Amino acid sequence: MINHISDLYGRQISSAELSAAILELPEVKRRPAIQLKPSLMCSRCGSRLKRSQANLPNGQYYCYVCIQMKRMDTLHDLAFVDEPNQFTKVSDALSWEGQLTPLQAECAEQVVRIFKKRQHHLLWAVTGAGKTEMLFKGIEWAVRYGKRICIASPRVDVCIELFPRIQAAFAKTSIVLLHGKSEQPYKYSQITICTTHQLLRFYHAFDVLIIDEVDVFPFSGNPMLHFGVNNAIKTAGSMLYLTATPDKHLLTQARKGRPSISYLPIRYHGHLLPEPTIIKIKGLSQGIDNNRLDKRVLKMIRQLMSQQQRFLLFVPHIKDLAAVATAIKDAGIIAKYDTVFAADPERLEKVSAMRHHELDFIITTTILERGVTFPGIDVLVLKADNDIFSAAALIQIAGRVGRSSDRPTGRVLFYAEARAANIRSCQRQIRKMNRKAAEI
Amino acid sequence: MTNCLLCQSSLRHTTSFDEMMSLAPAQARQLCEECAADFFRLDSVATCVKCGRRLKAEMSNPCYDCERWQQQISFDFQNRALYEYNSAMKDYMKRYKFLGDYRLRFIFAKEVKKAVTWQKRLLVPIPVNAGTMATRGFNQVTGLLKGCSLVEALKTSQTVKDKRQSEKGRADRLRLIQPFELVEPQIERISGKDVTIIDDVYTTGTTIRHAASLLYQAGATSVIGITLAR
Ligand SMILES: [Zn+2]
Ligand SMILES: [Zn+2]
Ligand SMILES: [Zn+2]
Repeated sequence: MINHISDLYGRQISSAELSAAILELPEVKRRPAIQLKPSLMCSRCGSRLKRSQANLPNGQYYCYVCIQMKRMDTLHDLAFVDEPNQFTKVSDALSWEGQLTPLQAECAEQVVRIFKKRQHHLLWAVTGAGKTEMLFKGIEWAVRYGKRICIASPRVDVCIELFPRIQAAFAKTSIVLLHGKSEQPYKYSQITICTTHQLLRFYHAFDVLIIDEVDVFPFSGNPMLHFGVNNAIKTAGSMLYLTATPDKHLLTQARKGRPSISYLPIRYHGHLLPEPTIIKIKGLSQGIDNNRLDKRVLKMIRQLMSQQQRFLLFVPHIKDLAAVATAIKDAGIIAKYDTVFAADPERLEKVSAMRHHELDFIITTTILERGVTFPGIDVLVLKADNDIFSAAALIQIAGRVGRSSDRPTGRVLFYAEARAANIRSCQRQIRKMNRKAAEI
Repeated sequence: MTNCLLCQSSLRHTTSFDEMMSLAPAQARQLCEECAADFFRLDSVATCVKCGRRLKAEMSNPCYDCERWQQQISFDFQNRALYEYNSAMKDYMKRYKFLGDYRLRFIFAKEVKKAVTWQKRLLVPIPVNAGTMATRGFNQVTGLLKGCSLVEALKTSQTVKDKRQSEKGRADRLRLIQPFELVEPQIERISGKDVTIIDDVYTTGTTIRHAASLLYQAGATSVIGITLAR
């Protein structure tokens, strides 16, 4: 239940969630949560609804598409309050004392210009370019002018990893972290870090909206979340998309001029992206179905263990997790490892265990393809030719390796039955980026 | 293309002749196999004759709770439940009732209809209060009873909410408070009839027994209960 008006600044919430006292305030505006004409449409997520699915008794309707964010229906209005930008203007908000490389610094200046000019921009930066640090100057500028800022990502892991870094860099600024699993209550803050789903509860709130890992599920190809983004940003707000692997949709738009686009092909430590090695194994998939792993895979795991080299082992499907874990156990390999997938209730704990060196390796679906960084690791991909691994996913996976300047290289091993189109495309794109990087 | 109502994964259409002729649960057509497998049907295991709960080896029949009930109430009452109230069902109720995803009624509607109509009895749903109706917009019990002819003979009594607040934490006193009233014009339809009360979940059994006692007062010959979950 919302009891304080500030909880509504720049937000849109069903009147069902508002206390009676708040509902009576003159600054609280309302609009229909569901539009009946010309066709049934949800005002919050923009979904067109089927009457047969959306109907409630007595001629009422609700939205079944965005219902996990609390229900929109014709029984209630969508309440909203204008964003007042009630922030103290602070000129030295940035408490980060790190150094940017000359290339990063150039990019950071560009970000400031983009925000100043209220542009929509795509920054295409390779994995490990250090994009978070390149945002600091821009955020500092926005804080200085009392702007409201949001960094959103489709991936909850990305948000969770980002939050402490932004907090450390802007120690004096109010920051809130919002995602479906968070227990932190909402609080009106100058910086919001949230999943793209949470943006559905904002309305014309942000002067600066940064979307990290913009090409990834569930954001990519999801009209509801795109609709949410366009509502969350102010009409004259600035939008910055960040990714190492933009999708076709965004590139098509960029070709038309909005968003504008810039490119950072080199990692912060100046080393090139590690190129994948392809190992062809006949019957790899069938073997895994029978809880068996080819001896070349097992040999590599043994070798990595004996070198105390930590790694991520990617598989395409949830069912492969147990099969591969069994195969490794049956082979007599002694190591500390675990499996993880998107809906794993212990996902956050397991990722944290890997981060704290309590695990030697983790067998994972594509959920760990990006956003999370384990310094100095290698990656192995089983069934890399599987459709689940898009070229972008493989590029992201390869990009987990060589992230620290202590160990800027590492192994990227793709085990596959054939060098399929996705693998070839991944190799091509990594080589292209490395060529661009070499030109600098 | 249709999708699983719970996880949105797309459903392959594999309705074979065998499946159509068998007594395969109706929910199979609304849910993917994985989601459907999370629910536990109570029709193939030993259950308490009085409340319908699944009996563990060490439990007597009727179960201990029902024996206590028999000492407390003067009328005969039996409940049958279709599903165990396990974590999948808990999650379902959360989404159907509390999030208000009315579409989810489709998952169990056919099965509930079959269960309540195989005997010719008067069907009385447990009502929801006016406040819930105003925000949720539907009664979760009648939602499950599509195509059944119902006698809405019960309504929630106005004063209950305040009484409940002041009696909080005193379970035995709570049991004495009748939360329902009879709907005047419907009373005469109850007299001399066999009645089935329908509710979504049987938890302590208090609610449904309050309803049963009122219906006996109105002259019902027999009253039983059917709930989706126990
Ligand atoms: Zn919606
Ligand atoms: Zn499902
Ligand atoms: Zn019992």
